[in-house]
Amino acid sequence: MTEKVKVRIDGEVIAATAGQTILEVARTNNKYIPALCYMEGLSTVGACRLCMVEVSGVSRLLPACTTPVQEGLAVATTSPQLESYRKIALELLFAERNHVCAVCVSSGHCELQTLAQEHGVTSVRYPYSYPRLPVDMTHPRFVLDHNRCVLCSRCVRTCAEVEGAHVWELAGRGIGSRLVSELQRPWGEATSCTSCGKCVQACPTGAMAEKGWGVEEMTKRRAAVSRLTSMREGE
Amino acid sequence: MTTGVVTALPRVDDQDLTDRIIGDHVGRPGALLGILEELQDANRHKYLPMETLEYVAVRTGIPQAQVYSVATFFTLFNLDPQGVHTVAICRGTACHTRGSRALLQRVKLQLGVGEAVDAAGKTTMTTADRRFTIRTVACFGQCALAPVVEVDHAIRGHVKEQVLIREVETLRKGGAR
Repeated sequence: MTEKVKVRIDGEVIAATAGQTILEVARTNNKYIPALCYMEGLSTVGACRLCMVEVSGVSRLLPACTTPVQEGLAVATTSPQLESYRKIALELLFAERNHVCAVCVSSGHCELQTLAQEHGVTSVRYPYSYPRLPVDMTHPRFVLDHNRCVLCSRCVRTCAEVEGAHVWELAGRGIGSRLVSELQRPWGEATSCTSCGKCVQACPTGAMAEKGWGVEEMTKRRAAVSRLTSMREGE
Repeated sequence: MTTGVVTALPRVDDQDLTDRIIGDHVGRPGALLGILEELQDANRHKYLPMETLEYVAVRTGIPQAQVYSVATFFTLFNLDPQGVHTVAICRGTACHTRGSRALLQRVKLQLGVGEAVDAAGKTTMTTADRRFTIRTVACFGQCALAPVVEVDHAIRGHVKEQVLIREVETLRKGGAR
């Protein structure tokens, strides 16, 4: 099973183990391939299409996160064509939901935002779809904001594979796909949820967050300070 | 595989039948699809109530979210009660260019239903008396016969507005069921 193979990533010969994916080999050798739905420790789904790479001898692009390495495989992790495709994929993610960084809990710590900056996505050339999406505030500690969800399914896999609770799943199809807990119950009413918060940690964007970090929630209670001094007057 | 929490069995209409259908499939790979299909077929209004989905999840040990995911992914499954008669209008490209939008509008007017999207985001419209369900289909694969309409599982090609209206009217007069 631990058969050693030699692969070429961007021209450099790298020793790898058969069965590893291109993305794993690249990451362990400090070769950067962007990815959104990939997370170390979880199964791979190839949903975000950001890790597409060129493999010599293969006419189509292959997702690095689900393609296993073979002896003699030669991969190009970047090219003008790949860059343009990755930009398109990112722009479509932005156009699909209501991503407003300025008021997002994850601004500055968001993988989607970081990727957009890295790839020079300064504007989106597609019309925004502005879907009307709900925000689930029913859980006592966490928030689910569908407006910021990119359907990467990292929370789904974290919950099913790491926590073993399998609260989450993607329902519907196409543009109507939504993240749902149990039978589309509010998160706070999901009986199988252990409130462990691993899904929140796995979420690459601000779709899942801990309560109290939202822009609107971070209000200061200055009146309390003024009241203290006014109560002390005349002492 | 829900952890820790023991969920009480939800009440379903015909528990014996439901148990038998689940028993026939359980253990086989891909059992869920067969179970849901048979359960929907056994339902009087040809749909899968939430209680049924929950019951299936508890009985088979498949996570509720996964059951819901499968039930919403396939357009075959209905999460809302269906009408006695079904009119499915193709909205594929070929049928669209041959006037399927007008057919859809006309039938909607005739039966007096508005636009409706169910829990799964699927466009189906059922009349208040539950006698008719109108739904759209992406393509029947019969583009040469465009526009195509399926009335109670019978496919009609080259459908003209007047013919469709007459057919629906005949079904409507076919006695109160």
